[in-house]
Amino acid sequence: MRWWIEKIVEKIFAASGMITTVVILLIVIFLFKEGFGLFNSPVVEKGYALCVNAVNPVEHIGSTTIKKIYNSGIENWSEIGGFNEKIVPFRFDDIFGHYKEEEFGENYEKLPEKLGEVIAQTPGILAFIPEEYLPKGVEGVKILDGNTVRPEDFFLGQEWIPTSTPAPQFGVLPLILGTLWVSLIAILIATPLGMGVAIYLSELAQSRVRDILKPTVELLAGIPSVVYGFFGLVVLVPMVQKTFSLSVGETAFTGSVILAIMALPTIITVAEDAMRSTPRAMREASLALGATHWQTIYKVVIPYAISGISAAVVLGIGRAIGETMVALMVTGNAAIIPKTLFTPVRTIPATIAAELGEAPHGGVHYQALFVLGCVLFLITLVISISAELISKRQHNKGL
Amino acid sequence: MNIIETKDVNFYYGDFHALKGVSLDVAKNSVTAFIGPSGCGKSTFLRLMNRMNDLIPETRLTGKCLINGEDIYDKRIDVDVLRKKVGMVFQKPNPFPKTIFENIAYGLRVNGIKDKAFIQNRVEESLKSAALWEEVKDKLSRSAYDLSGGQQQRLCIARALAVKPDILLMDEPASALDPISTSKIEELIFTLKAEYTIVIVTHNMQQAARVSDTTGFFMLGELIEFSDTKKMFLNPSKEQTQNYITGRFG
Ligand SMILES: Nc1ncnc2c1ncn2[C@@H]1O[C@H](COP(=O)(O)OP(=O)(O)OP(=O)(O)O)[C@@H](O)[C@H]1O
Ligand SMILES: [Mg+2]
Repeated sequence: MRWWIEKIVEKIFAASGMITTVVILLIVIFLFKEGFGLFNSPVVEKGYALCVNAVNPVEHIGSTTIKKIYNSGIENWSEIGGFNEKIVPFRFDDIFGHYKEEEFGENYEKLPEKLGEVIAQTPGILAFIPEEYLPKGVEGVKILDGNTVRPEDFFLGQEWIPTSTPAPQFGVLPLILGTLWVSLIAILIATPLGMGVAIYLSELAQSRVRDILKPTVELLAGIPSVVYGFFGLVVLVPMVQKTFSLSVGETAFTGSVILAIMALPTIITVAEDAMRSTPRAMREASLALGATHWQTIYKVVIPYAISGISAAVVLGIGRAIGETMVALMVTGNAAIIPKTLFTPVRTIPATIAAELGEAPHGGVHYQALFVLGCVLFLITLVISISAELISKRQHNKGL
Repeated sequence: MNIIETKDVNFYYGDFHALKGVSLDVAKNSVTAFIGPSGCGKSTFLRLMNRMNDLIPETRLTGKCLINGEDIYDKRIDVDVLRKKVGMVFQKPNPFPKTIFENIAYGLRVNGIKDKAFIQNRVEESLKSAALWEEVKDKLSRSAYDLSGGQQQRLCIARALAVKPDILLMDEPASALDPISTSKIEELIFTLKAEYTIVIVTHNMQQAARVSDTTGFFMLGELIEFSDTKKMFLNPSKEQTQNYITGRFG
């Protein structure tokens, strides 16, 4: 009887372990599956296509290039690997300047034909046309239908403007850098502070002080991030603005400070636990050799607890990188590559949270947000793996 | 000359009276063994002498404890300096999770010694004194945890010797070891006697009889008898001692 119960309990535990693993894997797979389509989606706005003259050798034009062309940033095909011919950007509306209204027929059935004529007559043309009026099969017209979003436009693109026409801009570089920037500063603030408090709590504080302080710190970890964000918005934003005489207080620095405060409880509690778990025998061995309290702390306790401490920092980074609300509320949400502490930035989670609701399901924007999710996932993965390696190496080195 | 002198030492863990009026003298370059039933205060007494008990909150001491004629509980005493002079080996081997070399070098490094050649020499010397050199000379950069329990304990002895203490306190240094390792440690104690004053706690009566010059018998926090080892084991003056060493008392 007892044997059976033990067997069953064992099976239940095994099953729950399996199920959890599978669910997590499925979520990751879902994330990648939803995002993956992005690189098969056309560069231009949905329902539109790009056409060029048949003599034009160009096969692919990236979204950033398109934007530059339409903003007159690029004027000659030779600049983007084509022939020496001035680029003539052509929007659908422009057709009405070439022909009279009557010439298109009653239901605009001649429109594609006329569009074709214009394209065929203009060697340097780049035409942006609704799919329903595409001059299919017209001689002298080349439709760029293999023109999909390229990884380099996505990962190296410097602009995130999903509503841009004719080609929405999905350059995630500013978002990735914004996220890393805010998290980096947050962790640079939080790590020394957190370590200081952890050392104080575990090594220096009297037990009575610790008994009060530790639960308080743990309590801080439970405060919802909206509350921190609110505090940041009402108190810190004006403070930063005044102190550094900025035009706006919503900056990377503001976000970092709040994120650091939010990461602190995690860092403190995990690091403190790790340090306290240093065996008494180790401390005694060190002290008995005449080491001072401080020498014991940094030569024995910290090395002994280093994997716990790196875990603490990684958990802190994880919290900072993945944090959405605060980033949304106090960082200013400007998708520009951060150059100083005080530029407004926009992070990946904030972008996803703000835009997923309005991105049409399955569309390019939607897919782009999912790829952003994958990027975030990979960033945290890399961080935890490297932390793992660091703490392993520390151990192998024998501290 | 007596290197250790205690006078009417009482020690309290909170309200618990763990040592009751202990007075004894330990001669330089002698081996002193403390025996007695579990919980009688042997470790407590040993840990008084390098002020290891300071780490335990809410403890209290009365009486005098002198080392080299100096009251080690005097306010002006620097505990770190004291502990360099009074080394300790613990019951369970407790090497640091560092290399064999770094374990030995630790005590030197925390003393601010940076001279590489000096450290190198001292490590070798200490390992030789602890009769471990031959076994580890080719793997000094391996983790101390790769050693056997007996080797680890000798490593801990070497580590304590590296700072050249005057006194070596050993709290049941062989209790976690097999007979061969135990006899190695006993031999070691024999040879170390020439240079160090050794105070050892043991549960093993034969061990006390074999290695020590003087033996102290503790019971319930009191030092019942403190005399020459031969006399203690052949002809104890107290009945309690007699009962204990003949095994009639647990
Ligand atoms: N940290 C402590 N806090 C409170 N009481 C303690 C503490 N350490 C020891 N004691 C008590 O003091 C008494 C003496 O302990 P001690 O460790 O000195 O005994 P011992 O003779 O070394 O015993 P053993 O042979 O088992 O090691 C015991 O009754 C023990 O319960
Ligand atoms: Mg003991």
